[in-house]
Amino acid sequence: MAQTQLAILLTSAALVIIGLYAAIFIDNIIKKIIGISFIEEGVNLFIVAIGYKAGGVVPILMPGMDTSWFASNAAYPLPFGLVLTSIVIGASTLAVMLALVMVLYKRYGTLSTKVMLADTSKQEEYDE
Amino acid sequence: MNELIPLMVIVPLMAALLISAFSKFNRITKIFAFVVALCLPLIPILSNYGLHYFGGYEPMLDNVTGVMFHPAITYSFTFLQQVFIGAVGLLTFLVIFIYLTKYKEVSGPYLFLLFLGTAAVTAMILTDDIFHMFVFFEILALAQVGIVAASSIDYSYEMALKYMILGSIGSPMMLLGIGFLLALTGSVNITDIASAVHMGLIDATSPVFLLSLALIFFGWLYASGLPPFHTIKSGIYSKAEPHGAALLQSFTVMAMISIVLIMFRIYSSLPIFEVLIVFFSILAMILGVSLALTQTDFRRMIGFLAVGELGFIGLGIGLGTNFSLTAGLFQALNEILITALLFIGFGAIVNATNEVDTRKLGGLLAYHPKVSIMLLIGGLAMAGVPPLNGFQSKLMLVQASLSCGFPELSILAIMVSIATFVVFVKTYYTIFLKPKPNDLELENRDVPRSMVLVMGILLIIIVILGIFPDMVTNGISSFVGGIL
Repeated sequence: MAQTQLAILLTSAALVIIGLYAAIFIDNIIKKIIGISFIEEGVNLFIVAIGYKAGGVVPILMPGMDTSWFASNAAYPLPFGLVLTSIVIGASTLAVMLALVMVLYKRYGTLSTKVMLADTSKQEEYDE
Repeated sequence: MNELIPLMVIVPLMAALLISAFSKFNRITKIFAFVVALCLPLIPILSNYGLHYFGGYEPMLDNVTGVMFHPAITYSFTFLQQVFIGAVGLLTFLVIFIYLTKYKEVSGPYLFLLFLGTAAVTAMILTDDIFHMFVFFEILALAQVGIVAASSIDYSYEMALKYMILGSIGSPMMLLGIGFLLALTGSVNITDIASAVHMGLIDATSPVFLLSLALIFFGWLYASGLPPFHTIKSGIYSKAEPHGAALLQSFTVMAMISIVLIMFRIYSSLPIFEVLIVFFSILAMILGVSLALTQTDFRRMIGFLAVGELGFIGLGIGLGTNFSLTAGLFQALNEILITALLFIGFGAIVNATNEVDTRKLGGLLAYHPKVSIMLLIGGLAMAGVPPLNGFQSKLMLVQASLSCGFPELSILAIMVSIATFVVFVKTYYTIFLKPKPNDLELENRDVPRSMVLVMGILLIIIVILGIFPDMVTNGISSFVGGIL
């Protein structure tokens, strides 16, 4: 395994672990969402690393390139395509989450998940 | 007509976009939504079985390894897909029919979410590409969150955000698992990955392969609402409009069987895979019915019962034989129909009383006899009382457990069915048979006719499937024979 690839994999693992910590243990909803973005980006980085080829070239066949040379030297393009889609999905999810947070912040005036996302059945009992 | 296969996804997807764009034209939106929704159950009936290769890229031979591979996304359409897409298409039509008749001014974004969810689950069950499945899995999660947030029920935003946060952890885990499979096999096509595993091209006992199973399994637990996600799943059902909840539970069942069938094709050679499925299914059955027993909100009670029923599906699939898989998939179809009937029926009660607490209800049998009778039959079907469809699938599951050499599982299945019966009868008694509380206002409230009509249609299908289960079990059995 190339050193660059190893470094990318370790970075992605660190991103996922930090993200999981933030998403599970931090109370502030914005920091939680930042943690979730860390997890998503860590996974995306991991998938990009799968397609990495040491000394390889960008997987675009240019005019004049020898196809057999290209086939043996180009990076694997499939992970890059998948990551592009994954980034778009991640952005959509992030937008919806932030929109919901905006509504709930206006309602509760706090970003604390302990207040905002307390057990809804208990909230109903409290209201009664 | 194999050309119709991609249309099963494209039609609801395009309808969702067009309705969202032109929703200010209320009348046209209503007519368009009705017509498109009517097409949803018809397309799978008219389509031929077969494969659809996107871009026309058919499987190719790898000159180096001598193995066939799929260069593009492939949709596979068999009897199983036909039945499930037809059932969800019919349910989408019925739910949209209720929605269109209930409100004079319809919401474009809400219809957008209903069609989007239907398109997502249809693509999930059709696709032979694991990344394609993941994309629609994410779209489905967004649609589910939107349907919950769009309801006028208190704390729906909170529940939607909770579900989204959990999903935002579950989805990347699943993607990581798919990444591991991609790293091992170089492909995201399920047939190619399964071939590589079964031909021994990758080591099925390698830690990376096992880790991919754990991660995808975690995503599956989230999608299915099996423990530890059972509470949030029943929560989102209770915070959605009743007709929306009916559709949401069908989405859950479709997502559950789509992902588990993919996992089954890839990981069935690992004994731990079936053990894991059976373990979490038993947990869902016990927790679902136990928690349902303690609920006073009947929407939440049905939500927990629905989670318990998912356990039956998992049990059938986890046992791993042709008969048990057929039973599990038949149970999935029955669950879609029965739970939809119950959600719509109890939604009619909410409509008539504006109350969800069983302690504050009573004596409704005299006021709403049609709804009460249909709900009773639906509840009996869920509990597995003959000759309804729930009985047929649960009997098959008990027989499958016995034939696999696990009599304890069959005893557990019977006990959970009895507990389901107890939960339902208790709730039914408090809502319909107990004397009416003095402070309950019922005089000027009525149940929408569309809801009664939809319940009637679902009930007819439930009874027909109960009397003639062979109509679907033979076809499902042939499909299962193909994947085993």
